[in-house]
Amino acid sequence: MSESGINHKFAFYLGCIAPNRYPGVESASIKAMKKLGVELVPLKGASCCPAPGAFGSIDLAVFYAMAARNLVLAEQMKMDIALVCNGCYKSIWEVNHKLKHNKDLRDAVNEVLKEVDMEYKGTINVYHTAELLYNEKFIGVDKIRDSVTNPLTGARIAVHYGCHLVKPHKDREFEKEVMLNTEHPVWMEELVAALGATPVEYRNKMQCCGAGGGVRGYDIVHALDITNEKLINLKEEKVDALTDICPFCQLQFDRGQIEIQEKFGVTYNLPVLHFAELLGLAQGMSPQDLGLDLHGISCEPFLQKVL
Amino acid sequence: MARTKGYPEALEKKLQEQRYFREDSNPEFSKEVKAISRTIPHMCYQCGTCTGSCPSAPRSSYRIRKFMRRVVLGLENEALTDPDLWLCTTCYSCSDRCPRDIIPTDVIMSMRNLAFKRDIVPVNFLKTVTAIYASGHGVPNNDVNRAARERLGLTRDPPTTHMYPEYMPAIRKILDHYKLKANADRIIKEREG
Repeated sequence: MSESGINHKFAFYLGCIAPNRYPGVESASIKAMKKLGVELVPLKGASCCPAPGAFGSIDLAVFYAMAARNLVLAEQMKMDIALVCNGCYKSIWEVNHKLKHNKDLRDAVNEVLKEVDMEYKGTINVYHTAELLYNEKFIGVDKIRDSVTNPLTGARIAVHYGCHLVKPHKDREFEKEVMLNTEHPVWMEELVAALGATPVEYRNKMQCCGAGGGVRGYDIVHALDITNEKLINLKEEKVDALTDICPFCQLQFDRGQIEIQEKFGVTYNLPVLHFAELLGLAQGMSPQDLGLDLHGISCEPFLQKVL
Repeated sequence: MARTKGYPEALEKKLQEQRYFREDSNPEFSKEVKAISRTIPHMCYQCGTCTGSCPSAPRSSYRIRKFMRRVVLGLENEALTDPDLWLCTTCYSCSDRCPRDIIPTDVIMSMRNLAFKRDIVPVNFLKTVTAIYASGHGVPNNDVNRAARERLGLTRDPPTTHMYPEYMPAIRKILDHYKLKANADRIIKEREG
């Protein structure tokens, strides 16, 4: 470890929903990761990843070019990217991977980027912070456990992995092989346990939140029905909170519960927290510092249990 | 043009007659989908693992297996005009499990790309485009959030295009290169007046 305690630096790619709807995810990530020896440096001028569902559906060529622009910004900083959202991972990681391995795509993208004096070179890697947290090469479960000052003892927490970080596993290249298990992964549960909480399994854990692919905007009732199915399965296990690693899933479960209440007349009041927020809590950040009051569903019952 | 497989003439003729085709089959459609999706749809043997894995299937008439068949058969109109095309949440469960290593999700995405070329696209997709053209973000900042960010010790606007609007011209140039904004505006206007 260097004297400053910082072992790794990453360009912090924010995306849209984390900074603009759940800013606690941004501040918690920066503070918590710093305690674990990882500095997240702002990626200036980054844009939307762009949204893989909306943009990918309209024109994949634009999708590649827009994601490449964000990648080039990090290349210019000579830093690998760290991000907090599965949707962003799908865009930024996957486009990086595709451009690195397909010369025709890279050439097409660079032709467009030339118009804005940029060139994609393929010199950096992209990581999700969940991956950095789990991989002992960067942080690892033990180090997380050691950083906990306020263990979340007694809390029953279920994990929503989301889709775009891990699926499809045959295209992914995680250093930690257990992350390639998409049928029944438990690596996130290990992270939850490291915070002192009790990870809880539930039926059909790997099901989608329902929001992706533009469906939330196209047919909200359809999207919410998928979310509702997950909430029914979670209710069976009497969990105190649901944790996610994707602000879009978080939005769908958190604000989605209010919409489900309006449209289906069912109430769950299940607190939904990004893992960065949980980690911040366990490291002693206050709910105010984490902006938990911004959540659609009150985190109070859960907080009373762990604070 | 049908390819021969070098069988005796009688058998060749019989196979020709059994080849499934319809008048509205367009072989170019299959090729286009294959090129855009960068996966091989005609490897599909219709096992249905995709539909069985699909979170949208139990609550709609959307059947990913059906769309896979339409691609193989070149049923362009049938595929692109079906509103179910837009019910895929892109969860990639089908792609994760496909025993033929096809990525059906990307097949859907490429069909949506081809539908967009015919102006078939739900308006919400276009609104994401116009939002990004305006601010760089699909989900932009707002005043409530700005105040909250300040309280958390963050900058009022995130250090993205929000804080550095000087990065916006490049983004607009990229989108304009593909005429995406102009097309989005035109379609939205046609739909909403």
